[in-house]
Amino acid sequence: MVQLASDAHASDRLPSAQGPLPWVTTAARLVLGVVLIVAGALKVGAPATSVQAVRAYEMLPESLVQIVGHGLPAVEIVIGALLVLGLLTRVVGVISGLVMAAFVVGIASAWARGLRIDCGCFGGGGQLADGQDPNYFWDLLRDFGLLACAAWIVAKPPGRLALDSALGLTGSPAPDDDEDDGSADADDSSSENGRQGEIS
Amino acid sequence: MSKRTSEAARARIAAQREAYRKQERRRRLTMVVTVGVVAVVAVGIGWWSIAQSKSEEVAGNLSPIGLQSDGTVVMAKPGVTSPVVDVYEDFQCPACRQMEETSGPTLKNLATEGKAKVVYHMITIFGQEPAKSNSLRASSAARCIPDGDKWLAFHEKLYENQPSETATGFTLDQLVKWGKEVGVTDSGFESCVREQRNVAAHQEFSNKILGEKKIQGTPTVMVNGKPLDSNTSFVPSALRDAIVNAAKG
Repeated sequence: MVQLASDAHASDRLPSAQGPLPWVTTAARLVLGVVLIVAGALKVGAPATSVQAVRAYEMLPESLVQIVGHGLPAVEIVIGALLVLGLLTRVVGVISGLVMAAFVVGIASAWARGLRIDCGCFGGGGQLADGQDPNYFWDLLRDFGLLACAAWIVAKPPGRLALDSALGLTGSPAPDDDEDDGSADADDSSSENGRQGEIS
Repeated sequence: MSKRTSEAARARIAAQREAYRKQERRRRLTMVVTVGVVAVVAVGIGWWSIAQSKSEEVAGNLSPIGLQSDGTVVMAKPGVTSPVVDVYEDFQCPACRQMEETSGPTLKNLATEGKAKVVYHMITIFGQEPAKSNSLRASSAARCIPDGDKWLAFHEKLYENQPSETATGFTLDQLVKWGKEVGVTDSGFESCVREQRNVAAHQEFSNKILGEKKIQGTPTVMVNGKPLDSNTSFVPSALRDAIVNAAKG
């Protein structure tokens, strides 16, 4: 009986996970993922410009400039693809959120220090010619929006159309775990009741 | 009856736990395989990115280099007049330094091979201090070196020692010292640098270039007058292809 009740409870919970919300996660994954793939693809063929764009922020020591400049495009493509596929969604959501946060800090810092650089977000980057103005405000607004996408993905993974669900990698084990424990407890208590009944 | 119920329940729980453990094992295996595949793909992309954009090694003796009266510097084998590769750059511009490091050897090799006439145009893209004055001092000092080989060595020396855009650098003392280090022995060199004799000529040249050529930023590389995008000029193999193809067309 108790088991049944707990089953009913579990299936009660399922419909609440349906509805439009998982689609919001899917949309967030697609937006963030596609932007990252495009940003990475535009830079990956010319790592020297990517290194230069990183250096232009004047925030990292030269050794890290090289590593970030060469590595970032590949990282962007890979996490972008994983987001679109919905694979390892929560972990990748956290990583992409950290990456976006780093971009926000970098751009805000360049703005605050009065540097006149292109953010280099989608290739190119570096020093602007006299008479060309940086777009720090719009760059920041965009990155805050993408950061919000990442936060949503971390909060509600993996959404619809995710490989995580197909491969059984989704967060279901944790709730299952809880429910198993719950039903086990319930059964234990019922058996205790039974024993008590026997004794009495 | 209650005992049997509880036994059945226990058996069911045990079966559930077993099934759950199996599922968990499968999940973990899938996770490990996925992470492994992702790591391999990421490293592969990074490796490809670096490999296809490797810089060339400078090979053989450089072709003759000559300072022109307008301040441009031509590097070409005698008789080679095309394709013309115009390089517009600023000693203070970090992207120019990056491009010289990445693609400079390719330009030198193409000139050596007789496949291009390379023309360096040093300009001042900066309007803000201290970057503007840094750039003016450096480029007018370079004009004090009439010997082409030494000019090119000085050009490299300046990029190696490029100051931050937000700090005063390329001081007159440094410029004199670096000139001597690259082998400038000309007796007039030091006074030419210290008196900043070429600043006006350089500024006039620079303004003319910026006005006429519609330079959006530095570095700009043009092949037969057509600007290359940075995905070409910063990728040595692509730059070589673009220039060699221009020679055919």
